[in-house]
Amino acid sequence: MDVPAAPCRGHEDSSSAGDVVRVPERILKREQARLEDAERRKEVKERHSVAEENSDFFTKTFSRDRAAIDQLIDTCSGTDRASATRTLEEATAKTQLLQKFLNDSMKFLAQYDLRQAQASLQKLQTSLTEKRDEVLPKKKFAFRSRTKAKEEVAEAAAPPQSEETVVDAVTPAGVRFDETVYTKQCGFSHQEAAVLTKTAEELLKQDVLLSHLTDCKVRLLGAPSTLHIKHVRGCEILCGPVSSSVFVDHCRDSTLVVPCQQLRTHNTTATQVYLHVTSRPIIEDCSGVSFAPFTWSYPTLDRDFEVSGLDRTRNNWTQVDDFNWLSASTPSPNWTVVPEGDRRTTWDLNEAHEI
Amino acid sequence: MGLLTILKKMKHKEREMRLLMLGLDNAGKTTILKKFNGEDVSTISPTLGFNIKTLEHRGFKLNIWDVGGQKSLRSYWRNYFESTDGLVWVVDSADRLRLDDCKRELSVLLLEERLAGATLLVFANKQDLPGALSKEAIQEAMGLDDIKTHHWCIMGCSAVTGENLLSGVDWLLDDIAARVFTAD
Repeated sequence: MDVPAAPCRGHEDSSSAGDVVRVPERILKREQARLEDAERRKEVKERHSVAEENSDFFTKTFSRDRAAIDQLIDTCSGTDRASATRTLEEATAKTQLLQKFLNDSMKFLAQYDLRQAQASLQKLQTSLTEKRDEVLPKKKFAFRSRTKAKEEVAEAAAPPQSEETVVDAVTPAGVRFDETVYTKQCGFSHQEAAVLTKTAEELLKQDVLLSHLTDCKVRLLGAPSTLHIKHVRGCEILCGPVSSSVFVDHCRDSTLVVPCQQLRTHNTTATQVYLHVTSRPIIEDCSGVSFAPFTWSYPTLDRDFEVSGLDRTRNNWTQVDDFNWLSASTPSPNWTVVPEGDRRTTWDLNEAHEI
Repeated sequence: MGLLTILKKMKHKEREMRLLMLGLDNAGKTTILKKFNGEDVSTISPTLGFNIKTLEHRGFKLNIWDVGGQKSLRSYWRNYFESTDGLVWVVDSADRLRLDDCKRELSVLLLEERLAGATLLVFANKQDLPGALSKEAIQEAMGLDDIKTHHWCIMGCSAVTGENLLSGVDWLLDDIAARVFTAD
């Protein structure tokens, strides 16, 4: 190694030749030690740095992968929809992998490299999106509940405009529902002056929707998982134990009779609720709602209570929280307790049958 | 050493994360929180106000804020935005009629400057219900693929059975950790 000689020669310039030998021994020794030390440190450093953790490796791998994705996007054309979808999916997956690779490499990359890589990833994303828009133009949105349901529709050879025929009136424009969704959903909708019942088998662990009912009498003789009641007027709705929540929205002049874990009442007026609830019931944007304890009974009620897992000994029907009335000192004017003398005790359907 | 570096170092030392859990009412936010924490979920009342839980997970200290989702409470959500590392958006996958509301509320949140740096995890909850929409249907209905401003991920889960809660939170932690703790 010729480096150690350098300081000595430098010394030589300023003094006579004889000085070289007179460089004190200890200085030479120290120089030697310093160099050894530097060598050792270099070795340690090399041992510690893994091949994957240097920016050369990163840059190479990154640009190679990026080129591969670019090529994938380029080869994709609109002629065959299925294969185009596959190619685009593959490209998307690869892009995500690349992003992960970049994230993992963050700690040893220089700021500049990091930003460059991020920028090219961004570009990749953009061209991917553009390609997708070009090759697979977005279809009009519609729900498809299950693949099985889709097959059924295909077999039935539904008319081409079937997606347009059912548009729920409550739903703001934009989200549309397939007919298949309605057949899947357990419940009743758009009925007037009817008697509607469901059995335990139909209700078991279902989420039930009752919507757009007027002057109906509804008997749900079982233990559903959840119950949604929306846009009902003048109805009498009795339901077996609901294992989680009952969600009521836009209900008026009605009577609800239900045991449940939670009751959430919204936009409801002039309605009586005969309730068994194991948490605290709530009302929001309501007025004239009155509460009484649950009094209905039917042959399989005990069994349904067991199925629902509700605690029969805990009923908080008077612990109503009004989200529009946060004062603790004065009670909310939006709800009351039905006086004991005015509470209904019989829920016979006989009269209704004669309609 | 810049201020940002100092802040990151401080956070690194504490390994603390602030997660904000939001969504429409009846989505199952409190149930997710309690189930994740191993508590009883059968006595939960609708949230009037908020719940905070601090828990240790994988060596991180998580501060999870669960704010009530009733319409009358949504205007207060903004009070909880500050220094949020992760946003957990909970969707009731069986509530088709309010998916549009759900999408709108989320898109408002994503425009919020104070949430600009937060990672988004969407829980498509209630997958245990037979009428629940799949995670893919929720992803489409919510237009998640159009989100370019946040790192996001959607997971189908059930707060009642506990399915996928852990993997969702784990993804969130990984993503936040990659941004906050190793960026320097």
